[in-house]
Amino acid sequence: MIGMLHGILEFAPVLVLAALGGVLSEKAGVVNIGLEGMMRFGAFAAAVGAFFTGSPWAGLACGALAGAASAAIHALFCLRLRADQVVTGIALNLVALGLVTFLLESIFGSSGVSPPVPTLPRGASGHTILAVAAFAVPLLLHLALSRTPWGLRVRAVGEHPNAAAALGVRVLALRAGCVLGSGALAGLGGAALSIGILGQFDTRIPAGQGFMALAAMVFGRWTPLGAAGAAFFFAAADALQRQLSFSLRASDLRIEGVFLALPYALTLLVLAFGSKRVRAPAADGVPYDPEGR
Amino acid sequence: MPRNPRARWFAPSREPLWGAVVAVAIALAVSFVAILASGKNAALGFAHLFDGAFGSAAALGESAVKGSVLVLTGLSVAIPFTVGVFNIGAEGQLIWGALAAAVAGSALDLPAPLLVPVCLASAALAGGIWGALPGLLKALRGVHEVISTILLNWVAIHLVHGWLVVGPLSARTSGSAISMVGTAPIQPAAHLYRFFEGSRLDIGLPVSLAAAFAVWFFLTRTRRGFEWRATGAGAEAARASGISTRGCVVEAMAAGGALAGLGGALLILGTEHRYPGVFRTGYGFDGIAVALIGGATAPGAALAGLFFGALRAGSTALQLVGIHPSFAELIQGIAVLLVAAPRFFSPLLLRLRARAAPAGAPP
Repeated sequence: MIGMLHGILEFAPVLVLAALGGVLSEKAGVVNIGLEGMMRFGAFAAAVGAFFTGSPWAGLACGALAGAASAAIHALFCLRLRADQVVTGIALNLVALGLVTFLLESIFGSSGVSPPVPTLPRGASGHTILAVAAFAVPLLLHLALSRTPWGLRVRAVGEHPNAAAALGVRVLALRAGCVLGSGALAGLGGAALSIGILGQFDTRIPAGQGFMALAAMVFGRWTPLGAAGAAFFFAAADALQRQLSFSLRASDLRIEGVFLALPYALTLLVLAFGSKRVRAPAADGVPYDPEGR
Repeated sequence: MPRNPRARWFAPSREPLWGAVVAVAIALAVSFVAILASGKNAALGFAHLFDGAFGSAAALGESAVKGSVLVLTGLSVAIPFTVGVFNIGAEGQLIWGALAAAVAGSALDLPAPLLVPVCLASAALAGGIWGALPGLLKALRGVHEVISTILLNWVAIHLVHGWLVVGPLSARTSGSAISMVGTAPIQPAAHLYRFFEGSRLDIGLPVSLAAAFAVWFFLTRTRRGFEWRATGAGAEAARASGISTRGCVVEAMAAGGALAGLGGALLILGTEHRYPGVFRTGYGFDGIAVALIGGATAPGAALAGLFFGALRAGSTALQLVGIHPSFAELIQGIAVLLVAAPRFFSPLLLRLRARAAPAGAPP
């Protein structure tokens, strides 16, 4: 039981941070299928930063920056060039897959893993600062979105961009800021994997965690607290699966796939048969044309 | 500018080819520079890439084998585009098709002329069911297909790779610790016929090209195909003229899923000959790139699929200069980014066309 709790707190930050990244972007009306790729860039840059500076904190900053930089490409193509948001996200994932492997090979001479890198320090409880962030950041984002003028503007451009623009909100600039923040959060989520948990970069990172974060965002009804709650729930299912497959290793029962499929299947059920309140922001994925209408 | 930017794929323009060729050329140029910048021999790398794709009978066979699968997964994305639906679920549909082919191919004891079609049909059925699911969810419950197909991909990946293939369908005898063997091997009668000695080129290529032709014929020459396209061009107008648009959406998704499943069957019956314990294909995800670069038409998907098949086959030879084969994904990703950006592309194309046209000629 203690082991499971530890496992949840270990893996939850990865999902929580990335899922919040999804929430921030989509609240402002930009679909972000590229979370997986942004996490991959963040995880890799964090490992590289920590390796060359010797400081995990510099690595963490690199992770957030790399995530934001890849999100800048998303913002440029979606907002400025008005490319399709889903397509751009998919392309970003493809680029991340190929480019990071290529950079890993160019910098460290291996297409599999990086050398060991400095990891984030662990407190008395055995957890990094990211475990605290997994509780604090959702709360902060919730307050910012629901209680501040900035949050009101973000929600406005995600629901009715034309009305927001009529009231003087700079729609594209606000959306771009949210997409960059989304990338930084996803990058931190990736960094939590490489310099938080593993202590190196593994080319399999993030192994679908970006898509699970997307599922958590949907399961949590596109709200910060809901998405974080869903991320914790999914992390618990994952920890349970690890625990089970560890104790079942002796027998021939291999059912971890059932547990891993569960979060996705549950999200689909909630979407299909849940209440009407499960819906994306109205202008999510609809490009905003400043000259139109 | 249409309200929905994806509309240009629902009703593809008459000249998608130019944009795609330019996008791929830029992507290749960028990756060439990237290899140069990393201090590796880019010219030699590209020579190996070309050699690995076209240099010998074996290389051509590899290109064709990979290309046939990509043609099918590309079609599986392109078909739902015609009704206005974005199928991101080809990977999951391919996985179920591959598993169905592997199970049918090992369990049934039939002569080859029967067994191969039966395996292909069961793969198409399995993929079709997995594709119809998001179609039904969209038509009946209004669930957005982009989310549902992503979720269903991961349900399929985890159920098949983390449970069925290592558990109930695993070929390992009880007690053996190694669980990477996959399912039982398929009957030799289920192996796809290969045309030449020394090349893995098999009937998968004609099968996939026939599928592309059938899709083209259906979409452009039949009444139901017209109704699908009408649904994609404007669902409300189509509904007003008596077309059952929900039916079209479910049918197109099922058809897309069936073709992705068929692609999975080609992998199992053609080269793997069992469902392997470790099966990281990516063919389904790459199908999205194939469909987009092919302009979401059947002939476009066929051309783009064969091209990216050659790229995939050639990229394994990049290892000779110390570059991981996943470099192909980078090239595809850049090309997709470029075709996705109409604003970036149309001025560029206009300028190119202006230069190509003689002075004074009408644009």
